[in-house]
Amino acid sequence: MVETVQNPTPFLAKGAAPRILFVFGKGGVGRSTVAAAVGLLLAERGERVLIVEWAVADTIGPWFGAVPVGPTYVEIAPRLDVTNFALDEALRAYFVDHLRVELIYRRVIRARPVARLLDVAPGLAEMFFLGQLWWLTTLAEREAQLHFDRIIVDAPATGHGVSLLDLPSTVGAMGTAGLLAVETRRVADMLADPAQTGAVVVSLPEPLVVDETLELMPRVTARLGHPPVAVIINRSVAAIATDDTRPAWLDTLAASAHARAALGSMHDELRAHASIERELRSRLEVGTVISVADQPGRAPLDVVRATARTFAEAR
Amino acid sequence: MTPRLHVLLGAGGVGKTTLAAGYALALSTAGHRVGLLGIDPSRRLQDALGVELADLDTQIPGARAVRAAIVQPHQALQRWVREACTDRGALDRLEQNPFFTALGDRLATATDVLAAARIVEWVERDPALTDLVVDTAPGVSAIDFLRSPRHIEALVKSRLIRWLRAIVRTGDEQLGGLRVGARRVVGALAGIAGARMVGDLADFFVLVRAPLERMLARVERARQWLQHADTSLLLVTSPRDTGAVGAAELASALRAEGLAPRAVIVNRMWPPELAAELASIAIPSNADAFIAYARAQLEAQAAVLAAVETWAPMIVALPSRPILIEARRPALVELGLALSRALSPAIPGLRSAS
Repeated sequence: MVETVQNPTPFLAKGAAPRILFVFGKGGVGRSTVAAAVGLLLAERGERVLIVEWAVADTIGPWFGAVPVGPTYVEIAPRLDVTNFALDEALRAYFVDHLRVELIYRRVIRARPVARLLDVAPGLAEMFFLGQLWWLTTLAEREAQLHFDRIIVDAPATGHGVSLLDLPSTVGAMGTAGLLAVETRRVADMLADPAQTGAVVVSLPEPLVVDETLELMPRVTARLGHPPVAVIINRSVAAIATDDTRPAWLDTLAASAHARAALGSMHDELRAHASIERELRSRLEVGTVISVADQPGRAPLDVVRATARTFAEAR
Repeated sequence: MTPRLHVLLGAGGVGKTTLAAGYALALSTAGHRVGLLGIDPSRRLQDALGVELADLDTQIPGARAVRAAIVQPHQALQRWVREACTDRGALDRLEQNPFFTALGDRLATATDVLAAARIVEWVERDPALTDLVVDTAPGVSAIDFLRSPRHIEALVKSRLIRWLRAIVRTGDEQLGGLRVGARRVVGALAGIAGARMVGDLADFFVLVRAPLERMLARVERARQWLQHADTSLLLVTSPRDTGAVGAAELASALRAEGLAPRAVIVNRMWPPELAAELASIAIPSNADAFIAYARAQLEAQAAVLAAVETWAPMIVALPSRPILIEARRPALVELGLALSRALSPAIPGLRSAS
C-alpha cells in the first residue's frame, strides 16, 4: 500500500540524491530486507548498486543464494553487489591499496601490540567504516576499478546505528592531528552533504517501535543536518484490517464459538496495529512514508522482491 | 549463595524486554527477591513499571521485592573509576581525558561486556538477592563478551601499553628512552594520529588500569556464573521467524561456548487450534484478505514450532496479547506469571505464584 504524497517523482529516482543511503532502525524491524529491496529496485532500474553491511555474518547474500559475503565485493544479482565490512580488511585496504605504505602496514599496523590496540580502540572501526564509504564514492574507481552509482548502508542495529554519525565530531573533539584529522574532515563533509548522504528509517506498526522511530527522527536530522528521505513502515496490516469496528461476517462464520471469538480478537489486534500505523503517519513530518504489506511465512527473497515492487510504485 | 540468573536472549523485536519485566514482577509475587537489569527499555515500559530507571537499581513501586536498573555506560564507568581510584588529581585528569569519554561511547555499543560486569556488581551490592533477570541486546552480539574479554585482557597486558606507560612515567615525549623497535611503532602512531593523541592515550591507559582490571575480573565471574546449574538461558523467538533462524543461531553460538539454553520461548502465538477450523469452513468473500492472512500466520508459526522442536530442550509457547495493553502493569504481571509457571518445574528452587 502506497500513500501518494506531494512529491510526484519516483522514490529514489535515477540520478537523484543521495549517493549513499543509510538504512536505520532497531533490530528486528526488517532493516536488511529494506536495504536489499532498495538495492534490487535501483539495480533493476539500471544503476550499479552496492549494499554495505556490517554484521557478524552477512544475511543478504544467502537470501539470493550466495554464500555469506565477507569483506569483498560479490555480485548477488545483476548490477547488485554486497560487501560485509571487516576492520582487518579495511585497514589493509587503506594502508596498502590506498596509501601504498605496505611496509608501515606490515611493521606497524600488523605488529601484535598495535593490532591488539586497534582491536579495542574506541571509534576506530566506525571511522574506517565511514572512511571506506568516502573512498567508494571518490577514489575507488581510479584505485580499484570499482564503480557504484549508489551505496546502500545496512547500518548496525546497536544504538540504532545512528551513533555512527556522531563519530567525526567525537574524533574531531579528541584533538586528532595528522592523517586521521584529514580523513575525519572528509567524512564529516560527506555526511553533511545532502547530495552525498541520506537516510531512510525503518519502523513497524507496534507501540514500542513507533515510540523509538519518533525519537530517532530528530536525532538523524540533527546528525546529518537534513531530514531522512523516507520512513518505511514494514509489516503493515492496514490493508487487511480496514474496518474500525468488528466485521459483520465474523458472527455469520460457520465456525465454533471459540474460533469466532479467537478470530475476533486477532482481528482486533490487527486493527490496533493499523491504528498505531495511522498514529505514526500523523506524527511524522517527513514527506515520503511508505507502508509495506505484512507477509507472514514467505521466504526472505520473496519478501525482498515484494518490498522492491512496493518501492517501485512509491512516489 | 549465588542468586539464580535468568538471561533472556533473542533477535530484535521478539518481546524480550517486556517479557523480562513481567517475569521479574511475577517472581517477586512468589516471594523471591528480584533484580531486573535492562538494556534499552522504552518509555512505555518504564511508565508501566511506574519509575524512571537509572544506572543504579531503583525500587519498583507496588512491587517491594523488585529493583530494576538499566545499563548506562558512562555512569557505570564513572562509578567503577571512583571505586578503584582514590587519588583526586588522577581522577580529575582521567575524567578530562578524551579517550575516557570515547571509552564510554565505545562501551555504549558493548552492552554485553557492561551487562556482564553489572550483574556481578549487583550481587556484590545486594547479597540477599535470590533472582536476577537480565534483558540483553538483540541477537548474537549479546554474548560477545564470552569472547571479547580475552582481547581486552591481551591489550591491557600488551607491550604497546607498557611502552605508552613508560612515556607517561618518564614524561619522555621524544621517545628517547624506548628501544628502536618501540620508538618506531609509537612514532608511526604519532604520525598517523598526532603526538597529543598518543600522549592522551598513554595517560588514559595508566589511569584506567585498576578499574579496567576490576571490570575484567567481574566479567570473568559472570562467565563462570553462566555455567552454573541454576542459571537459565532463555531464547525468545517470534512465531514469524522463518525456521526460527535467530534462535537457532543463538543456540549454536551458546553451544560453541559450552552453554545450553534452558528453554525456547515462542512469544505471541496465535491460537494454533484455529488452523483446523479455518481449513474446514466456508469463508465469506469479504473476509478473504483477513482469513488468508490468518492462515499464513498460523502456517508460519507451525513451521517455527516444528523447527524449534528438533533441537530445543523445552518449549514455552506464550499467546499473543493485545498490543495496546501489553505494556500495562496487570498485563505485564499476567505475562510473567504464565512464563514462570511454565519454567518453575525446570529451575531448581524456583517457586511460582498461583
